[in-house]
Amino acid sequence: MKRSFVIFLLALGVALSSSAQEIRLTPVDPQAVGDWAKPALPFRLHPTLDRDVDYQGPALPMRLWGDLSLGSARYALVLGVSKTGAPGLWLDQNRDDAITGDELLSGERGDGYYLWQVELTAEVDGESYTYPLGLLWPEGRGYIYLIGGAPRIGTINSDGQGHTLVLVDGDINGVFGTEGDFYAVDVDADGTIYGDADGHEHFAIDEAFTLGERSFRLAQVSPAGSWVRLEQTEYVPPKLPLTPGHPAPDFTFTTLRDGRRLSLSDFQGKVVLLDFWATWCEPCMAELPNVKEIYKKYHDRGFEIIGISLDTNESALRSELQKQGITWPQYYDGKGWDNQIAALYRVFAIPATFLLDREGIIRYRDLRGEELADKVAELLAEPEEAPPPSKPPSVTAPPESILELTLPSEVGLMPGEETEVSVQVENTSPYLAEEITLRLAELPEGVTAEPKTIANLPAFGQRSVTLTIHVPEGTPQGNYPAKLVLTYHYCIGESCFQMSDEAELTLAVGKEPTAASRPWNPWWLLVLLGVGVALAWLVLGKGASALGIALMLVAGAAVGVGVYLGQARQAQLIGAVLCTSCVGIEEGRPEVPQVSAATREALAQLSRPVKLVVFHTPWCHSCPFAIAMAQEFARLSPNIDVELVDAEKNLDRAEAAGVYRSGRLIVPAIFAPATGQVIFGTRDLEARLLDLVLKCQK
Amino acid sequence: MPKVSKRRLHLFRRGSQSLGLLLGILGFTGIGMTHLIFPGLHCYACPLAVTVCPIGLMQNLIINGTVPFYWMGIVALYGLVLGRGFCGWFCPFGTLNDLLSFRKVRFLRALSPLKFLILLGTAVAAWRFGDTMFCKLCPVGGLEASLPYLGLGIAELNTPFWVHMGTLGGTLLGMVLISRFWCRYLCPMGALLSLLSRVSLFGLRLKADRCTGCGVCASACPMGLKPYQEINSTDCIKCGECVTACKEGALSIGFYLPGREGRVPVRTSGLASRLNRVFARK
Repeated sequence: MKRSFVIFLLALGVALSSSAQEIRLTPVDPQAVGDWAKPALPFRLHPTLDRDVDYQGPALPMRLWGDLSLGSARYALVLGVSKTGAPGLWLDQNRDDAITGDELLSGERGDGYYLWQVELTAEVDGESYTYPLGLLWPEGRGYIYLIGGAPRIGTINSDGQGHTLVLVDGDINGVFGTEGDFYAVDVDADGTIYGDADGHEHFAIDEAFTLGERSFRLAQVSPAGSWVRLEQTEYVPPKLPLTPGHPAPDFTFTTLRDGRRLSLSDFQGKVVLLDFWATWCEPCMAELPNVKEIYKKYHDRGFEIIGISLDTNESALRSELQKQGITWPQYYDGKGWDNQIAALYRVFAIPATFLLDREGIIRYRDLRGEELADKVAELLAEPEEAPPPSKPPSVTAPPESILELTLPSEVGLMPGEETEVSVQVENTSPYLAEEITLRLAELPEGVTAEPKTIANLPAFGQRSVTLTIHVPEGTPQGNYPAKLVLTYHYCIGESCFQMSDEAELTLAVGKEPTAASRPWNPWWLLVLLGVGVALAWLVLGKGASALGIALMLVAGAAVGVGVYLGQARQAQLIGAVLCTSCVGIEEGRPEVPQVSAATREALAQLSRPVKLVVFHTPWCHSCPFAIAMAQEFARLSPNIDVELVDAEKNLDRAEAAGVYRSGRLIVPAIFAPATGQVIFGTRDLEARLLDLVLKCQK
Repeated sequence: MPKVSKRRLHLFRRGSQSLGLLLGILGFTGIGMTHLIFPGLHCYACPLAVTVCPIGLMQNLIINGTVPFYWMGIVALYGLVLGRGFCGWFCPFGTLNDLLSFRKVRFLRALSPLKFLILLGTAVAAWRFGDTMFCKLCPVGGLEASLPYLGLGIAELNTPFWVHMGTLGGTLLGMVLISRFWCRYLCPMGALLSLLSRVSLFGLRLKADRCTGCGVCASACPMGLKPYQEINSTDCIKCGECVTACKEGALSIGFYLPGREGRVPVRTSGLASRLNRVFARK
């Protein structure tokens, strides 16, 4: 009996193992697979640390703490700026709860940021492994970026072919297989993995992928990332590639204006721009005049636009279309970010555009400005057969939630009464969240609650919102599940994201409202203070003395209430965040120079080689712009050769070029050896640089 | 309170002003940002700051929609204990005003309520624009944050920086031309403290029987007030310059119950104030 049971278990084990394939994974350098395997997450620093860690490093005028978790391993870190202005990062690498001076990490300075690289140990379920981590501090900020992901690589053998699989710790918490992690599979086995968030070979940790006729999902992931087990699952259609050179997925839609049924395939033979936009997206609206201009100019020659609106407010969209005089077809389904065509095209950020040629092949993505006009003209001028694709896909990131909700899991409600529920909304990111709406959904019949809107919530800001729930008389007692829906949008640079999150709560009808659902708010203390201030202008003599003492008691009570509500800590946090835009610190955004059509034309006509030497220094904030402009010139004309010279390290060359004079370096400077001429600064750089280049031709 | 010698009072005041300055830059010891609110205008973005600026915090609380128990309680306590005495005895920017006080002039008293408008404007702008608009203009921020960050090589010579330099330059010029220029007309923190200054424990006392009405106290007052007519006015920063100037010993300074004889405060603006001055002339 016993033996047969063992045999049965073994047979079951064999049967189970045959359906699950284990892939061994080994660490891989992210550079070897692509930048997508190196996620970056903002990580907030605080003036103090919640646990007891002793800082024994040098005295610092400015110091912020962080507490980093990689599995069960916790690392305290201190970011400080010394009196000389040099920043340093100390990390408790030996985890002895003491940060000593020799735990200073060596870092490097970039344009507007500092970057430190370190190898830490992550501990998961008693297993430990090495975790390479980058820590990037945008100068002057109260947060850093963690750059990690510790990618793991392995091979899936399917139908006699090897497909590379890369697993990434997307949420940088040291544990693989958690929400926020992702993986990528080279499904077409072409040696390149399109693992960007909108790539067709990128998969969320619980998403299935398809190899040939079979689909698989990750049945089990080793928390330390050393293996994954694949399990065959129900067939899912493979993700279509959206990179230039691939056909654009077809779709059918009803136009918003006149209700016509159209398909993308109906536009075969025309150059088509798929424009994903929304009226709330400022960069989209800024680009609109240019799009209108191009449409006007080329529509008669076979150019068409299909607008895919991610708006959720139809009347706002209709009035904007009318106001702007937009006549091209628009698709609108009111689902915002869940827009069906946006989902088909894996659009995670707007503005997003796909420019299709006459054959319906995606040729360019995310073009704007003059470049869009140029490419439309180029595609219209092309013969029917399309040449091979020319531009790699742009890198976008999937939108991440930046708001966190704190709400009671259960709310007591009495029939015939209104109950207030306090919900805390916290912005956990350095970005501004806008048009935040909180709405209770899936309420039991008859129960109502007004949605609440917050215009915006600044970086790391908190806001308490009170929702009023009305329960009519006669509502049966019992527990009803409901949802709190949070919608908002935010922008990072030129990309905007519309978000929608949900949180669950239980409505306990018939149960007395609990203290948790009624925030303690003795506002009358502040009213008393206000009345006291008014009386202070009227009362004299002994009354003033009594008033003064009474007000002291009220003020003391208000301080006590504030401390109890955590407002002292809030004050400390506010004090620790620097208003960089106030004091003249601006985030170093790489500026991409836009070169005018006239300059492009002039550069295209260059007949002789031109050498340009760009002198720069690490501390020069305008140098990146000068470098980018020179490189853009070189990109537009093969006759231009650009050499970058660090002026501090090459003082002799700088002196010979006239960039180093009387002990002073003047950068950015662009030197043309052919004429001996040098230009400084960035003002009107395009015109001056063109002049410099043209003089070299004479 | 016994008559304090001029030298001793000066010494006390400079000592407490130094203490204010020290608390402002205590960050050099390695202490990070604390929960404390500074009792004066002092930029929390200053690299050495360990305390929170009350006006910066006020704007952030408005932006975040917080019912400000902690902030209001602390500011009220400051107002009730020293009132605008903090301006005269503690605030580092007030100390800078003092150091540049070359001309103790009576000048445009009618502009004094401007600081209340600035306080109101600061609050409304924070609510309306969702940003710390006052901080972008604050000369204290220019002095304590923009310049140090420029020195540290972090700030840039960009528009926000030059705006700060403009307001700082204008304020410094004002200070040189008119004693306590910033405290008189513009400081929103001074406006906040002055709301409770009339019932604060710290203040001046006038012994009417000793006062000859000679006006020496008025010429000594850096705020351009007439202490013998308007003792403990809401504009009074309780610096004690008048106390040491008075040869008759009619004025004294210290901690008294606000209702005590000789502490009767007088309005400095509006109809009541004007009437008071008219009657005083008679």
